[in-house]
Amino acid sequence: MSPVLAMRLVSYRYAGADSPALAELDFEVNGGELIAVTGPVGAGSSTLLMVAGGYAPRLIGGELGGERLLAAERPAIVFATPWTQITGLCRSVFAEVAFGPASLGWPEPLVRSAARDALAWMGITHLAERDPAQLSGGEMQRVVVASALAMGPDLLLLDDPAAELDPLAANSLYELLGRLAGRGAAIMVATPDLDRARRVATRALRLETGRVVADGPAAQVLG
Amino acid sequence: MIGYENDTSVLHGAHPYTPLALAGAVFCLVFAARSPEHVGALLAVAVLLAVLAGALGQALRAALAIALPTIVLLLVLHGLLGPAPYSFVGPFLISDSGFERAVVLGGRITTVLVATVAVLRSVSPARLVDAMTDRGVPFSVTYLLVSTLTLVPRMRQRAAGILEAQQCRGLRLGGSPFARLAALRPLTLPLILGALMEVDEQVLALDSRGVGRSPRRTALDPPADTEFEWLLRWMCLVVVVAAWTARAREWLL
Repeated sequence: MSPVLAMRLVSYRYAGADSPALAELDFEVNGGELIAVTGPVGAGSSTLLMVAGGYAPRLIGGELGGERLLAAERPAIVFATPWTQITGLCRSVFAEVAFGPASLGWPEPLVRSAARDALAWMGITHLAERDPAQLSGGEMQRVVVASALAMGPDLLLLDDPAAELDPLAANSLYELLGRLAGRGAAIMVATPDLDRARRVATRALRLETGRVVADGPAAQVLG
Repeated sequence: MIGYENDTSVLHGAHPYTPLALAGAVFCLVFAARSPEHVGALLAVAVLLAVLAGALGQALRAALAIALPTIVLLLVLHGLLGPAPYSFVGPFLISDSGFERAVVLGGRITTVLVATVAVLRSVSPARLVDAMTDRGVPFSVTYLLVSTLTLVPRMRQRAAGILEAQQCRGLRLGGSPFARLAALRPLTLPLILGALMEVDEQVLALDSRGVGRSPRRTALDPPADTEFEWLLRWMCLVVVVAAWTARAREWLL
């Protein structure tokens, strides 16, 4: 099976920055893998996800070195700040979650069923008719994750997806990620939550100052 | 706050294109109109739109706050400094043509303001997105229009947040006019920088939701349209074209 993402000595420098945020990244990501990306604050985990999904430098500028082979057809990303990911163009949570599939031009019945499924996976079917702008931080985070899931991503990138969630919701989210990986999706989660990551991740990358210092089975890297 | 509010008014229930077409026609016509009578008639239409949008109170408040000072200024400028002949209005000697010009200009500003409030309050950005998606309008165009319609409430919301944050850090808003002016800086800079950052965040959010990956988005809940509304919108276009054609003929002849 060919990897959905391959990084060959990739480096990335933000526009105007003196030193690179990422350097000499060299790894592959395959379908079915759930990879925990860890490291101290500022190590480059969030940047790694942006580069991996093809969002940097395409949308935010900067300079990319090396070779990034993104074979995933439907990458999706979830940032740690859900309020920045609400489109502001939808009158209900259902429409918000359906926004992605609708953008992909899927037929209407498929858009609706994808949105319904994603809401059910995240346990937020009861929020379907609510105004997305009126949600709490935790509700909004679940809506944003549901919005990414609704697009049926083959590469799902999540930046601290449980930051706004209560412990039970965080447990559910990580269990769901484990199930999704079991169904063939490639998932990368940047997280400081090593306990939960250790439970479900199949592999872990540890970053320090933009470089991968450990890459291996989660149990081994996360300790 | 000038922005969309959920309501059951006539314009809220209309297809989003209809209030936009009506207001657009009023904008175009009021700049083609040259006499105070015509401008007055269009102001009446704008007020009617505000009534149909359930926004008369907001429109009047906006007119009082923004248009009235401008009208007073115009009356002073054109009325007192305009060309002869003059007439006495109370103790003041007022230029007849200057007074008429001030009334026309002030009427135009008020008309545009009132019609804008009616549109902003009654056109749901989400319904407009659905309507434009249904008609196959490119998402970039849709987003541009909807962003413009939601700009004022978003900026006000952001400004309120910044104001609270800066007050927590000791910002004092009272005092002399100079002190108030100085207090603007810690509000304005974060407001502008925040708005720029929001653009970046929105680009990422929309891109990650597949915007631009398919030539045509799927419309989920396109608003209902009626033959009457369709006819009304075309009539707006015809009237605007006729009015501007007449105005162009006046210029040429």
